[in-house]
Amino acid sequence: MEVESSFGPIDVAISGLRAQGKQMKVISSNIANARTADAGNGEPYRRLQAEFETDDDLGGVKVYKIVTDMSDFLRILDPGNPMADQDGYVDMPNVSLPVEMINMNIASKMYQANVAVLKRYQQIIENTLELLR
Amino acid sequence: MSKVDNIMDLIDVGIRAEALRQKAIANNIANLETPGYRRIDIKFEELLDRCLRSSEEFDLSEVEAQIYCPKQTPVKSNGNDVNFEAEIGQMIKNSLRHKAYIRLLSKMYKQIDLAIDIK
Repeated sequence: MEVESSFGPIDVAISGLRAQGKQMKVISSNIANARTADAGNGEPYRRLQAEFETDDDLGGVKVYKIVTDMSDFLRILDPGNPMADQDGYVDMPNVSLPVEMINMNIASKMYQANVAVLKRYQQIIENTLELLR
Repeated sequence: MSKVDNIMDLIDVGIRAEALRQKAIANNIANLETPGYRRIDIKFEELLDRCLRSSEEFDLSEVEAQIYCPKQTPVKSNGNDVNFEAEIGQMIKNSLRHKAYIRLLSKMYKQIDLAIDIK
């Protein structure tokens, strides 16, 4: 017996909140490491990207994996840096701040949208409960 | 014919379960950052469903909500598995269910009131 199928939309909206929260975490990691020339493995930090997936039909959304962006590193001229090569260039992470900012805007708007759905659905159920007065 | 002849009892166990669940959620949110804390939940609907389906006699007042540790959500790096958004969702659902029970109860009282008022 399905006990409470009428609360499905709440779970879906919450899954949206969780996924967008994780996306924000990934973006903040990218921004925090935008100038990390050594990520511990001798290579500069590689930009991360969260991939979303539908959590089986009408089950909401989830981040199913976080992939690393394999595009080329940014090369900057910094001869004074101890990590510079013979020509004075240093490899820097492939993070582009404008892109991260736009993604952050999208993520926060998506979060707000899910909160709006949650609030509205709560209101709808409360209206139904008004009939019970 | 349903085995529950007193709706009032049914509403009563429901409200008690919701109150306990509210406590569990408050506890989870209070321990949002406590290292090693695992979230707790209330098992009630399953128990009630099992009682209502079983062929044996049972006493509704013995249907008591239970606290348990689901240990199903992914654990964060500090050994804690509370997710703030998930708890908020639980809280909204809980308050809606609570409201429904309270409305049903007040409806019952109104009916009794009506019966008394007949002259």
